[in-house]
Amino acid sequence: MIEEPYRWVEAIANRREYIEAQLAPGSPIAALGCRDGILFVTLGQTRQKIFEIYDRIAMGAIGHPGDIERLRMAAIELASTEGFTRSATDVSLRRLVHYSLSPAMKSAFEQVYGAPYLARMLFAEVGDQPNEDLFLRVEYDGEIATNGATYAQARQDFAALSGTEQSRELMETFLATQHTSDATLEAALNSALDAWSIGHMTLQTGDTKKTPEHAAVRKHRQEQLANAGIEAALLERGGNRAIRYRSLPDKELRPLIRD
Amino acid sequence: MERSPVAFDQNFSGAAGDFPALLRRRSLLAPATASGLPQAGTPQKVWQPTEATTILAFKFSGGVLVAGDRRATAGNTVVYDRADKVLEIDRHSIMAIAGVPATAWEMARVLEHSCQYFRRTQLQEMSVDGKVRALSKLLRDNFGFVMQGVGVVVPIFATYDFYPKPEARLYFYDAMGAQFEVTDYAATGSGSPAVRGILYYENNWGAKPLRELGEDEAVSIALRALDTAAESDTSTGGVDRSGKIYPLIKIVSHEGITTLPESKIAAVFKETVA
Repeated sequence: MIEEPYRWVEAIANRREYIEAQLAPGSPIAALGCRDGILFVTLGQTRQKIFEIYDRIAMGAIGHPGDIERLRMAAIELASTEGFTRSATDVSLRRLVHYSLSPAMKSAFEQVYGAPYLARMLFAEVGDQPNEDLFLRVEYDGEIATNGATYAQARQDFAALSGTEQSRELMETFLATQHTSDATLEAALNSALDAWSIGHMTLQTGDTKKTPEHAAVRKHRQEQLANAGIEAALLERGGNRAIRYRSLPDKELRPLIRD
Repeated sequence: MERSPVAFDQNFSGAAGDFPALLRRRSLLAPATASGLPQAGTPQKVWQPTEATTILAFKFSGGVLVAGDRRATAGNTVVYDRADKVLEIDRHSIMAIAGVPATAWEMARVLEHSCQYFRRTQLQEMSVDGKVRALSKLLRDNFGFVMQGVGVVVPIFATYDFYPKPEARLYFYDAMGAQFEVTDYAATGSGSPAVRGILYYENNWGAKPLRELGEDEAVSIALRALDTAAESDTSTGGVDRSGKIYPLIKIVSHEGITTLPESKIAAVFKETVA
């Protein structure tokens, strides 16, 4: 198979299709940079999807729990040894993802006789100022998307992760109009829940390129909040403590929800 | 082919190793073996305890107070007069050290990272017993060097336990890693015999038992004890009256760790000690 380039391309295409199908039902995650820090939000009932990686770095992931676990461990090991041998300020998300995780995921994906990672991850690193926040999305094939400004696109203060590209794009479209980096935690939470609902609805309805109506989003959000718990974490911006990660329990967030 | 930096072990298990094990896998920490023990044929040195300092800790009404003098010595020479021997491990734990600074600070660093690594990988806090044991293991792993006459560390560990019942806990160790939980007070370092005498006296026949002292009273006793230790022990800095260098005092309570500002220590010192 390897000797025949065409077969290899075909194998990779099949593999991509397979992974996309596996990831498609993954419940969305939204990460929003706000005044207080970076807020990660998702709704769920079962396993944890938002994790602490290092002092200023958090990760949200969808995919196979076993693969998420291996990648999470690898990220924590890399960050911890770097932080130990040098210093916590030398641990950078950019290096972690670009130099370590992405190449590893790419080679696992392209070695067609081995198993690829069934996972899609969203990393964020909180900065001292909102414009220093970094968001990186890493795909199962090692592809990296960033929130940084490019020639074609302005900088974004948020990032989204979902089962399908379409669902993620609708979440991003919504957040681009609704969210600003100077939002309060309360405002950011409500934008995140709306974005989550849009992403979740799109996953259920399937083939649509249109953002759902506002009323429908609200209804869906209420229904889901009644049945599922809010999983959230904040990477705090201020404060003099080195460790910025704090998980926000459901009951602390419920009073902040505005209908 | 060179191994990728990312763990590609297919038999990988998150529960496999603790943080020191990870560091050893990457050759970032000396192996924990008896290799440090004197080999046959090498000249045997008699181990001299060299933990030249004074560290004390006791429980009072506001939690645990941990105090340490600031002097660092090499033999008869004072090399540093602002050494920090009372180190924060996490939000509720303090490790105070007597012994060789290089080893002690490295140990504190490993312990600090171990607690964080455990929380991040296992998604729960390490228990107090787990932390106490982790420090014990670090001391045990270091014992080969102690036998060679380098790197002895004799720490005190103070922490606040939330489970099963919220209370301050205090431990002292020996150089081999045995841990002893104490009910009232602990002291370590070359100046500790004097301190232990004072704390024993205060606890039994003082105005009130150590446990019932208020914060200012506790600080006052800590300063008096360190000053007494410095009186006869050259390795203990005590309070440097001319240089205005005061001992480092930290308090562990339910709310976390407070480092007492120098102005406050100076005020108590002026009022009750000087």
